[in-house]
Amino acid sequence: MEYLRVLLPRVTRMQAAIVVAATVPVVLAGGGVLAALLFLMAAGGTVTPAPTQPIAFDHSVHAGQAGIACEFCHRGVDTQAAATIPSVEQCMFCHAAVAADKPQIQLLQAHWETNTPINWTRVHRVPDHVRFVHAPHVQAGLECSTCHGDIASMTEVRQVRSLAMGDCQDCHRESAAPLDCATCHK
Amino acid sequence: MSNAAHESAARAAAVGALGQTIPTDAEVPPSDGTRWGMVIDLDRCTGCQACVVACQAENNIALNEEQRVLERRAKTWIRIERYWEGEFPNAKARFIPVLCQHCGNAPCETVCPVWATYHNPEGLNVQVYNRCIGTRFCANGCPYSVRYFNFWNPEWPESLNNQLNPDVTVRSKGIIEKCTFCVQRINRAQVDAKTDGREVADGEVQPACVQSCPTTALTFGDFNDEGSTVSRLAESERRYTLLENFGTDPGVVYLKKVDPHAEAPEGGHGHAPAEDRA
Repeated sequence: MEYLRVLLPRVTRMQAAIVVAATVPVVLAGGGVLAALLFLMAAGGTVTPAPTQPIAFDHSVHAGQAGIACEFCHRGVDTQAAATIPSVEQCMFCHAAVAADKPQIQLLQAHWETNTPINWTRVHRVPDHVRFVHAPHVQAGLECSTCHGDIASMTEVRQVRSLAMGDCQDCHRESAAPLDCATCHK
Repeated sequence: MSNAAHESAARAAAVGALGQTIPTDAEVPPSDGTRWGMVIDLDRCTGCQACVVACQAENNIALNEEQRVLERRAKTWIRIERYWEGEFPNAKARFIPVLCQHCGNAPCETVCPVWATYHNPEGLNVQVYNRCIGTRFCANGCPYSVRYFNFWNPEWPESLNNQLNPDVTVRSKGIIEKCTFCVQRINRAQVDAKTDGREVADGEVQPACVQSCPTTALTFGDFNDEGSTVSRLAESERRYTLLENFGTDPGVVYLKKVDPHAEAPEGGHGHAPAEDRA
Protein backbone atom coordinates (compact mmCIF):
# COMPACT_ATOMS: atom_id res chain seq x y z
CA MET A 1 0.00 0.00 0.00
CA GLU A 2 3.00 2.26 0.46
CA TYR A 3 3.17 3.00 -3.25
CA LEU A 4 -0.26 4.58 -3.04
CA ARG A 5 0.81 6.84 -0.21
CA VAL A 6 3.79 7.95 -2.29
CA LEU A 7 1.63 8.58 -5.33
CA LEU A 8 -1.07 10.34 -3.35
CA PRO A 9 0.18 11.70 -0.08
CA ARG A 10 -3.32 12.66 1.04
CA VAL A 11 -4.89 9.22 0.62
CA THR A 12 -5.92 7.88 3.99
CA ARG A 13 -5.13 4.37 5.05
CA MET A 14 -8.77 3.37 4.72
CA GLN A 15 -9.03 4.76 1.20
CA ALA A 16 -5.82 3.01 0.24
CA ALA A 17 -7.16 -0.26 1.58
CA ILE A 18 -10.35 0.18 -0.43
CA VAL A 19 -8.33 0.94 -3.53
CA VAL A 20 -6.16 -2.13 -3.11
CA ALA A 21 -9.11 -4.37 -2.28
CA ALA A 22 -11.09 -3.07 -5.20
CA THR A 23 -8.35 -2.92 -7.79
CA VAL A 24 -6.45 -6.19 -7.33
CA PRO A 25 -9.20 -8.58 -8.49
CA VAL A 26 -10.19 -6.26 -11.29
CA VAL A 27 -6.64 -5.99 -12.53
CA LEU A 28 -6.37 -9.76 -12.45
CA ALA A 29 -9.49 -9.92 -14.58
CA GLY A 30 -7.79 -7.65 -17.05
CA GLY A 31 -10.03 -4.61 -16.46
CA GLY A 32 -7.30 -2.02 -16.33
CA VAL A 33 -9.58 0.88 -17.21
CA LEU A 34 -12.12 -0.07 -14.56
CA ALA A 35 -9.38 -0.30 -11.99
CA ALA A 36 -8.24 3.18 -12.84
CA LEU A 37 -11.80 4.47 -12.45
CA LEU A 38 -12.23 2.75 -9.09
CA PHE A 39 -8.91 4.18 -8.06
CA LEU A 40 -10.09 7.69 -8.87
CA MET A 41 -13.39 7.22 -7.04
CA ALA A 42 -11.86 5.75 -3.92
CA ALA A 43 -9.26 8.47 -3.75
CA GLY A 44 -12.09 10.88 -2.92
CA GLY A 45 -11.45 13.36 -5.67
CA THR A 46 -7.79 13.80 -4.81
CA VAL A 47 -6.72 13.31 -8.40
CA THR A 48 -9.24 15.30 -10.34
CA PRO A 49 -8.74 15.42 -14.08
CA ALA A 50 -8.68 18.92 -15.50
CA PRO A 51 -12.02 19.86 -17.10
CA THR A 52 -12.07 21.09 -20.66
CA GLN A 53 -12.55 24.83 -20.84
CA PRO A 54 -14.28 26.78 -23.62
CA ILE A 55 -11.03 28.66 -24.25
CA ALA A 56 -7.71 26.92 -23.68
CA PHE A 57 -6.54 29.44 -21.12
CA ASP A 58 -2.99 28.60 -20.05
CA HIS A 59 -2.05 29.56 -16.50
CA SER A 60 1.55 28.56 -17.07
CA VAL A 61 1.84 31.39 -19.62
CA HIS A 62 0.15 34.04 -17.49
CA ALA A 63 1.15 33.18 -13.93
CA GLY A 64 4.30 31.30 -14.93
CA GLN A 65 6.14 32.92 -17.82
CA ALA A 66 4.60 36.39 -17.60
CA GLY A 67 4.70 36.31 -13.79
CA ILE A 68 1.34 38.02 -13.36
CA ALA A 69 0.20 37.98 -9.73
CA CYS A 70 -2.90 35.85 -9.04
CA GLU A 71 -4.82 38.78 -7.56
CA PHE A 72 -4.25 40.88 -10.68
CA CYS A 73 -6.98 38.84 -12.39
CA HIS A 74 -8.73 37.22 -9.39
CA ARG A 75 -9.48 40.57 -7.83
CA GLY A 76 -11.88 39.54 -5.09
CA VAL A 77 -9.45 37.20 -3.43
CA ASP A 78 -8.20 39.45 -0.64
CA THR A 79 -11.45 41.28 0.09
CA GLN A 80 -14.38 38.93 -0.40
CA ALA A 81 -15.66 35.39 -0.41
CA ALA A 82 -15.13 34.58 -4.06
CA ALA A 83 -11.76 35.09 -5.72
CA THR A 84 -13.81 35.85 -8.85
CA ILE A 85 -13.12 34.92 -12.43
CA PRO A 86 -12.12 37.96 -14.49
CA SER A 87 -14.64 39.37 -16.90
CA VAL A 88 -14.10 39.34 -20.67
CA GLU A 89 -13.47 43.06 -20.41
CA GLN A 90 -10.65 42.44 -17.99
CA CYS A 91 -9.02 39.94 -20.36
CA MET A 92 -9.35 42.47 -23.14
CA PHE A 93 -7.37 45.09 -21.19
CA CYS A 94 -4.32 43.24 -22.44
CA HIS A 95 -5.58 41.09 -25.26
CA ALA A 96 -6.92 43.90 -27.39
CA ALA A 97 -3.25 44.20 -28.32
CA VAL A 98 -1.32 41.27 -26.86
CA ALA A 99 -1.23 38.11 -29.00
CA ALA A 100 -4.31 39.28 -30.84
CA ASP A 101 -3.58 37.06 -33.83
CA LYS A 102 -3.65 33.73 -31.95
CA PRO A 103 -6.71 31.53 -32.51
CA GLN A 104 -7.61 31.20 -28.80
CA ILE A 105 -7.40 34.95 -28.34
CA GLN A 106 -9.68 35.38 -31.32
CA LEU A 107 -12.22 33.21 -29.50
CA LEU A 108 -11.95 35.67 -26.63
CA GLN A 109 -12.36 38.62 -28.96
CA ALA A 110 -15.47 37.03 -30.42
CA HIS A 111 -16.96 37.04 -26.89
CA TRP A 112 -15.96 40.66 -26.53
CA GLU A 113 -17.54 41.67 -29.82
CA THR A 114 -20.77 39.76 -29.26
CA ASN A 115 -20.93 40.95 -25.65
CA THR A 116 -21.34 37.42 -24.26
CA PRO A 117 -19.67 35.96 -21.18
CA ILE A 118 -17.39 32.93 -21.32
CA ASN A 119 -18.90 29.87 -19.68
CA TRP A 120 -15.83 28.61 -17.86
CA THR A 121 -16.14 25.19 -16.30
CA ARG A 122 -15.77 25.42 -12.56
CA VAL A 123 -12.80 23.50 -11.17
CA HIS A 124 -12.98 24.01 -7.40
CA ARG A 125 -16.30 23.74 -5.63
CA VAL A 126 -17.05 23.10 -1.99
CA PRO A 127 -20.46 21.66 -1.03
CA ASP A 128 -23.50 23.88 -0.64
CA HIS A 129 -23.43 23.59 3.16
CA VAL A 130 -19.94 25.06 3.35
CA ARG A 131 -19.17 28.73 3.65
CA PHE A 132 -15.69 29.40 2.30
CA VAL A 133 -14.40 32.96 2.25
CA HIS A 134 -11.11 33.62 0.48
CA ALA A 135 -10.35 36.94 2.17
CA PRO A 136 -9.37 35.77 5.70
CA HIS A 137 -7.21 33.00 4.25
CA VAL A 138 -5.27 35.38 2.04
CA GLN A 139 -5.01 37.91 4.86
CA ALA A 140 -3.61 35.20 7.12
CA GLY A 141 -0.73 34.97 4.68
CA LEU A 142 -1.61 31.73 2.93
CA GLU A 143 -0.19 31.35 -0.55
CA CYS A 144 -2.71 30.53 -3.27
CA SER A 145 -0.64 27.44 -4.04
CA THR A 146 -1.26 26.02 -0.57
CA CYS A 147 -4.73 24.94 -1.65
CA HIS A 148 -4.63 25.28 -5.42
CA GLY A 149 -1.22 23.72 -6.09
CA ASP A 150 1.40 25.06 -8.41
CA ILE A 151 -0.99 26.81 -10.77
CA ALA A 152 1.90 28.69 -12.37
CA SER A 153 3.09 25.47 -13.97
CA MET A 154 -0.33 24.14 -14.99
CA THR A 155 -1.42 24.28 -18.60
CA GLU A 156 -4.92 23.23 -17.59
CA VAL A 157 -6.05 23.91 -14.04
CA ARG A 158 -7.08 20.91 -12.01
CA GLN A 159 -7.88 20.38 -8.36
CA VAL A 160 -4.89 19.01 -6.48
CA ARG A 161 -6.22 18.80 -2.92
CA SER A 162 -9.31 16.98 -1.78
CA LEU A 163 -10.69 20.11 -0.03
CA ALA A 164 -12.76 17.72 2.08
CA MET A 165 -13.52 18.63 5.69
CA GLY A 166 -10.54 16.74 7.09
CA ASP A 167 -8.26 18.52 4.66
CA CYS A 168 -9.46 21.93 5.88
CA GLN A 169 -9.34 20.84 9.51
CA ASP A 170 -5.76 19.59 9.36
CA CYS A 171 -4.63 23.02 8.31
CA HIS A 172 -6.93 24.85 10.73
CA ARG A 173 -5.57 22.75 13.57
CA GLU A 174 -1.94 23.36 12.64
CA SER A 175 -2.40 27.10 12.29
CA ALA A 176 -4.68 27.52 15.34
CA ALA A 177 -7.50 28.76 13.10
CA PRO A 178 -11.09 28.36 14.36
CA LEU A 179 -12.37 24.79 14.58
CA ASP A 180 -15.93 25.74 15.47
CA CYS A 181 -18.42 24.09 13.09
CA ALA A 182 -20.24 27.38 12.52
CA THR A 183 -17.08 28.92 11.09
CA CYS A 184 -17.48 26.94 7.88
CA HIS A 185 -20.85 25.19 8.01
CA LYS A 186 -23.78 27.34 7.08
CA MET B 1 -23.47 9.72 33.55
CA SER B 2 -22.20 13.19 34.16
CA ASN B 3 -21.79 15.58 31.28
CA ALA B 4 -18.02 15.43 31.35
CA ALA B 5 -17.96 11.66 31.51
CA HIS B 6 -20.48 11.46 28.69
CA GLU B 7 -18.36 13.76 26.56
CA SER B 8 -15.14 11.92 27.12
CA ALA B 9 -16.85 8.61 26.36
CA ALA B 10 -18.26 10.06 23.16
CA ARG B 11 -14.82 11.36 22.22
CA ALA B 12 -13.22 7.99 22.85
CA ALA B 13 -15.84 6.42 20.60
CA ALA B 14 -15.19 9.00 17.92
CA VAL B 15 -11.46 8.34 18.07
CA GLY B 16 -12.06 4.64 17.65
CA ALA B 17 -14.43 5.01 14.73
CA LEU B 18 -12.57 7.53 12.67
CA GLY B 19 -9.00 6.76 13.62
CA GLN B 20 -8.40 10.40 14.41
CA THR B 21 -8.80 12.56 17.44
CA ILE B 22 -11.34 15.25 18.09
CA PRO B 23 -9.77 18.28 19.75
CA THR B 24 -10.46 18.64 23.44
CA ASP B 25 -11.68 21.95 24.79
CA ALA B 26 -8.15 22.90 25.75
CA GLU B 27 -7.01 22.64 22.14
CA VAL B 28 -9.79 24.77 20.75
CA PRO B 29 -8.61 28.34 20.36
CA PRO B 30 -10.19 30.61 22.98
CA SER B 31 -13.12 32.69 21.86
CA ASP B 32 -13.23 36.41 22.31
CA GLY B 33 -15.85 35.94 24.98
CA THR B 34 -18.83 36.96 22.92
CA ARG B 35 -22.28 35.82 23.92
CA TRP B 36 -24.74 36.69 21.22
CA GLY B 37 -28.24 37.34 22.43
CA MET B 38 -31.43 39.19 21.80
CA VAL B 39 -33.72 41.43 23.77
CA ILE B 40 -37.36 41.50 22.74
CA ASP B 41 -39.39 44.39 24.09
CA LEU B 42 -42.98 43.15 24.14
CA ASP B 43 -44.20 46.67 24.78
CA ARG B 44 -43.03 47.56 21.30
CA CYS B 45 -44.17 44.42 19.52
CA THR B 46 -47.34 44.99 17.50
CA GLY B 47 -47.54 41.45 16.16
CA CYS B 48 -47.10 42.66 12.59
CA GLN B 49 -45.18 39.54 11.49
CA ALA B 50 -42.53 41.51 9.58
CA CYS B 51 -39.85 39.50 11.41
CA VAL B 52 -41.47 36.25 10.32
CA VAL B 53 -41.48 37.28 6.68
CA ALA B 54 -37.93 38.63 6.82
CA CYS B 55 -36.69 35.42 8.43
CA GLN B 56 -38.47 33.33 5.83
CA ALA B 57 -36.78 35.24 3.02
CA GLU B 58 -33.33 35.44 4.59
CA ASN B 59 -33.04 31.83 5.59
CA ASN B 60 -34.49 29.98 2.59
CA ILE B 61 -37.36 28.60 4.63
CA ALA B 62 -39.78 26.59 2.57
CA LEU B 63 -43.21 27.99 1.80
CA ASN B 64 -45.86 27.16 4.36
CA GLU B 65 -48.82 26.16 2.31
CA GLU B 66 -52.23 25.81 3.89
CA GLN B 67 -52.04 22.03 4.10
CA ARG B 68 -48.69 22.23 5.89
CA VAL B 69 -50.13 24.55 8.48
CA LEU B 70 -53.15 22.32 9.02
CA GLU B 71 -50.82 19.36 9.52
CA ARG B 72 -48.90 21.46 12.05
CA ARG B 73 -45.79 20.97 10.00
CA ALA B 74 -45.29 24.56 8.95
CA LYS B 75 -41.84 26.01 9.52
CA THR B 76 -41.28 29.47 10.93
CA TRP B 77 -37.97 29.96 12.69
CA ILE B 78 -39.56 32.90 14.44
CA ARG B 79 -43.27 32.89 15.13
CA ILE B 80 -45.60 35.34 16.81
CA GLU B 81 -47.59 33.72 19.54
CA ARG B 82 -50.84 35.52 20.21
CA TYR B 83 -52.68 35.45 23.50
CA TRP B 84 -55.93 37.05 24.55
CA GLU B 85 -56.15 38.77 27.88
CA GLY B 86 -59.49 39.59 29.44
CA GLU B 87 -63.02 38.97 28.18
CA PHE B 88 -64.82 40.59 25.30
CA PRO B 89 -65.35 43.55 24.93
CA ASN B 90 -62.27 44.30 27.00
CA ALA B 91 -60.11 41.60 25.43
CA LYS B 92 -56.55 42.57 24.65
CA ALA B 93 -54.23 40.88 22.20
CA ARG B 94 -50.80 40.04 23.49
CA PHE B 95 -47.93 39.05 21.21
CA ILE B 96 -44.76 37.15 21.95
CA PRO B 97 -42.24 36.50 19.17
CA VAL B 98 -40.74 33.09 19.87
CA LEU B 99 -37.53 31.96 18.23
CA CYS B 100 -34.71 29.63 19.22
CA GLN B 101 -33.64 30.86 22.64
CA HIS B 102 -30.02 29.77 22.10
CA CYS B 103 -30.03 28.40 25.63
CA GLY B 104 -26.80 28.40 27.57
CA ASN B 105 -27.96 25.12 29.05
CA ALA B 106 -29.84 23.70 26.11
CA PRO B 107 -31.94 20.56 26.43
CA CYS B 108 -31.64 19.93 22.69
CA GLU B 109 -27.86 19.72 22.65
CA THR B 110 -27.39 16.90 25.11
CA VAL B 111 -29.79 14.54 23.35
CA CYS B 112 -28.30 14.67 19.87
CA PRO B 113 -26.58 11.34 19.23
CA VAL B 114 -24.40 12.70 16.44
CA TRP B 115 -23.47 16.14 17.77
CA ALA B 116 -25.32 17.84 14.95
CA THR B 117 -26.38 20.47 17.42
CA TYR B 118 -23.94 21.96 19.89
CA HIS B 119 -23.13 25.17 21.68
CA ASN B 120 -20.41 27.23 20.10
CA PRO B 121 -18.01 29.49 22.02
CA GLU B 122 -20.02 32.56 21.05
CA GLY B 123 -23.19 31.38 22.71
CA LEU B 124 -24.91 30.17 19.56
CA ASN B 125 -26.85 26.96 19.51
CA VAL B 126 -25.58 25.67 16.18
CA GLN B 127 -27.26 23.14 13.94
CA VAL B 128 -24.89 21.38 11.53
CA TYR B 129 -27.28 20.29 8.82
CA ASN B 130 -25.15 17.75 7.03
CA ARG B 131 -24.40 16.00 10.28
CA CYS B 132 -28.06 15.71 11.31
CA ILE B 133 -29.60 12.27 10.85
CA GLY B 134 -33.14 13.31 11.74
CA THR B 135 -33.80 11.54 15.03
CA ARG B 136 -35.84 14.58 16.14
CA PHE B 137 -34.74 14.03 19.74
CA CYS B 138 -33.78 17.69 19.90
CA ALA B 139 -37.20 18.85 18.71
CA ASN B 140 -38.80 16.70 21.39
CA GLY B 141 -36.41 18.04 23.97
CA CYS B 142 -36.98 21.69 23.15
CA PRO B 143 -39.45 23.27 25.58
CA TYR B 144 -39.98 26.22 23.24
CA SER B 145 -40.91 24.12 20.17
CA VAL B 146 -38.64 26.09 17.90
CA ARG B 147 -36.97 23.22 16.11
CA TYR B 148 -38.55 22.23 12.83
CA PHE B 149 -38.26 18.97 10.99
CA ASN B 150 -38.13 18.82 7.20
CA PHE B 151 -40.83 16.36 6.28
CA TRP B 152 -40.39 17.24 2.62
CA ASN B 153 -37.77 18.60 0.33
CA PRO B 154 -38.46 22.30 0.07
CA GLU B 155 -39.94 23.57 -3.16
CA TRP B 156 -40.29 27.02 -4.54
CA PRO B 157 -42.08 28.24 -7.64
CA GLU B 158 -39.67 28.62 -10.54
CA SER B 159 -39.94 32.38 -10.31
CA LEU B 160 -38.54 32.37 -6.77
CA ASN B 161 -35.41 30.34 -7.49
CA ASN B 162 -33.24 33.40 -7.71
CA GLN B 163 -34.43 34.81 -4.40
CA LEU B 164 -32.68 32.06 -2.42
CA ASN B 165 -29.95 33.34 -0.15
CA PRO B 166 -26.64 31.86 -1.28
CA ASP B 167 -25.22 32.27 2.23
CA VAL B 168 -27.72 29.82 3.69
CA THR B 169 -28.02 26.12 2.95
CA VAL B 170 -31.25 24.87 1.46
CA ARG B 171 -32.15 22.13 3.89
CA SER B 172 -33.21 18.81 2.47
CA LYS B 173 -35.77 16.29 3.67
CA GLY B 174 -35.12 14.45 6.91
CA ILE B 175 -33.20 16.97 8.96
CA ILE B 176 -33.95 19.49 11.69
CA GLU B 177 -33.59 23.20 11.15
CA LYS B 178 -34.02 26.21 13.40
CA CYS B 179 -33.14 29.83 14.00
CA THR B 180 -29.40 30.48 13.73
CA PHE B 181 -29.44 34.12 14.86
CA CYS B 182 -28.53 34.64 11.17
CA VAL B 183 -25.07 33.16 11.73
CA GLN B 184 -24.21 34.04 8.13
CA ARG B 185 -24.55 37.72 9.00
CA ILE B 186 -22.49 37.29 12.16
CA ASN B 187 -19.76 35.59 10.17
CA ARG B 188 -19.82 38.25 7.52
CA ALA B 189 -19.54 41.03 10.09
CA GLN B 190 -16.65 39.24 11.76
CA VAL B 191 -14.79 38.80 8.48
CA ASP B 192 -15.41 42.44 7.59
CA ALA B 193 -14.18 43.57 11.01
CA LYS B 194 -11.09 41.41 10.74
CA THR B 195 -10.38 42.80 7.27
CA ASP B 196 -10.54 46.32 8.66
CA GLY B 197 -8.50 45.31 11.71
CA ARG B 198 -11.15 46.20 14.29
CA GLU B 199 -13.69 44.58 16.59
CA VAL B 200 -17.30 43.97 15.57
CA ALA B 201 -19.18 47.09 16.68
CA ASP B 202 -22.34 46.95 18.78
CA GLY B 203 -25.33 46.91 16.47
CA GLU B 204 -23.26 45.93 13.44
CA VAL B 205 -24.77 42.46 13.35
CA GLN B 206 -28.49 42.49 12.72
CA PRO B 207 -30.38 39.28 12.11
CA ALA B 208 -33.13 39.62 9.50
CA CYS B 209 -35.87 39.80 12.15
CA VAL B 210 -34.13 42.61 14.03
CA GLN B 211 -33.44 44.52 10.85
CA SER B 212 -37.04 44.31 9.69
CA CYS B 213 -38.79 45.17 12.96
CA PRO B 214 -40.59 48.48 12.35
CA THR B 215 -40.91 49.28 16.04
CA THR B 216 -37.37 48.14 16.99
CA ALA B 217 -38.86 45.69 19.45
CA LEU B 218 -35.99 43.32 18.71
CA THR B 219 -32.39 44.16 19.56
CA PHE B 220 -29.39 41.95 18.94
CA GLY B 221 -25.93 42.09 20.41
CA ASP B 222 -23.31 40.76 22.78
CA PHE B 223 -24.46 40.14 26.35
CA ASN B 224 -20.85 39.83 27.51
CA ASP B 225 -20.13 43.39 26.39
CA GLU B 226 -21.32 45.54 29.28
CA GLY B 227 -21.70 48.61 27.09
CA SER B 228 -23.85 46.95 24.44
CA THR B 229 -27.46 47.94 23.87
CA VAL B 230 -28.72 44.46 24.73
CA SER B 231 -26.83 44.46 28.03
CA ARG B 232 -28.33 47.80 28.95
CA LEU B 233 -31.85 46.76 27.94
CA ALA B 234 -31.58 43.46 29.79
CA GLU B 235 -31.05 45.32 33.05
CA SER B 236 -34.64 46.57 32.90
CA GLU B 237 -36.94 45.58 35.75
CA ARG B 238 -39.36 44.34 33.10
CA ARG B 239 -36.89 41.60 32.19
CA TYR B 240 -37.90 37.95 32.09
CA THR B 241 -37.01 34.84 30.12
CA LEU B 242 -39.33 32.21 28.74
CA LEU B 243 -39.94 29.19 30.99
CA GLU B 244 -37.34 30.44 33.42
CA ASN B 245 -38.01 27.59 35.86
CA PHE B 246 -36.56 25.09 33.38
CA GLY B 247 -33.11 26.54 33.97
CA THR B 248 -32.22 26.65 30.29
CA ASP B 249 -30.39 29.98 30.57
CA PRO B 250 -31.88 31.45 27.37
CA GLY B 251 -29.97 33.88 25.22
CA VAL B 252 -33.19 35.73 24.45
CA VAL B 253 -34.46 38.15 27.08
CA TYR B 254 -38.01 39.46 27.02
CA LEU B 255 -39.17 42.78 28.43
CA LYS B 256 -42.64 42.65 29.92
CA LYS B 257 -45.53 44.45 28.27
CA VAL B 258 -46.47 47.72 29.90
CA ASP B 259 -50.22 47.91 30.41
CA PRO B 260 -51.35 51.46 31.12
CA HIS B 261 -54.82 50.22 32.08
CA ALA B 262 -53.63 47.61 34.53
CA GLU B 263 -54.44 48.23 38.13
CA ALA B 264 -51.41 49.17 40.14
CA PRO B 265 -50.07 46.23 42.12
CA GLU B 266 -50.06 46.74 45.84
CA GLY B 267 -47.17 48.84 46.98
CA GLY B 268 -46.02 49.38 43.41
CA HIS B 269 -46.86 51.39 40.37
CA GLY B 270 -48.75 50.13 37.36
CA HIS B 271 -46.66 51.93 34.83
CA ALA B 272 -43.30 50.50 34.03
CA PRO B 273 -40.84 53.33 33.66
CA ALA B 274 -39.85 54.31 30.15
CA GLU B 275 -36.24 54.40 31.17
CA ASP B 276 -34.95 51.79 28.80
CA ARG B 277 -34.17 53.63 25.69
CA ALA B 278 -32.32 56.85 25.28
